[in-house]
Amino acid sequence: MTVDAWFIIGTIVGLGSTITCIVAAAMKKKPNDITLLTLAAVELFIVAYAIGSLVRILGGQHMVGEPWEFWGYMFTAAMLPVAGFYWAMMERTHWSNYVMSAVGITVVVMLARMAQIWYGTSMAAQALQQGIGS
Amino acid sequence: MSTPDTNTQVAPHGRTTGAGRLLITVYGIFAISATVRASFQIIFHFADAPLAYLLSAFAAVVYIVATISLAKPGPGWAKLATISICIELVGVLVIGAASVIDPAAFPHATVWSTFGRGYGFVPLLLPIIGLIWLYRHRESK
Repeated sequence: MTVDAWFIIGTIVGLGSTITCIVAAAMKKKPNDITLLTLAAVELFIVAYAIGSLVRILGGQHMVGEPWEFWGYMFTAAMLPVAGFYWAMMERTHWSNYVMSAVGITVVVMLARMAQIWYGTSMAAQALQQGIGS
Repeated sequence: MSTPDTNTQVAPHGRTTGAGRLLITVYGIFAISATVRASFQIIFHFADAPLAYLLSAFAAVVYIVATISLAKPGPGWAKLATISICIELVGVLVIGAASVIDPAAFPHATVWSTFGRGYGFVPLLLPIIGLIWLYRHRESK
């Protein structure tokens, strides 16, 4: 898969959020402004990525994989910080930080899959795709 | 205002609190991703590999049932959680073994292929952790 600036920035934001939340949870801290803000940063990145991807498509770029799958991942990734926040707030203990730590890493995995859909999994697969036709 | 000591209230629902919420979160993530993936496969590529995609859909249903029953307090839900997680464990072991022994029969990956290697073996660890959790929080009769 091709690593682009979107994936690098998303990985830094996502892993940053996960590590911050795990450290806070290990210190037995309840969810605070810092851990909640890292979750907000993840959400903000996904919104920026969605707008950026839309601009690239309107600018004439085409993704290799299925747009349906790409936007499905985008939507699910956008819901994760919201669901994580809601789920964590229902029980405010240090375990909520562990719950929120799962969001960032999951978003990173989804970003990797989205990069695969956008650029194709490898050169071989790309050649195959052209051979088969649309 | 409520009394500060909530131990007596918390104890009966220990299964769905604390670390249990993290377990439910991970199950929830698998339920969502498996459902979305299986729907996509069945809608657009069902003819390619009907068996693999039906297994994906089955796995998605098992994860959904496990997530909901883990999150609900009460012995009935605990029993349903145990049953669904046992099915999940059998599924990942059987599909995992079958995909290793006869890779040709599973050309299209499911969540349980090669014991969930595509998902960092989490699908193999999850039911084991889930059953240990349920055993430690079983409600005595």
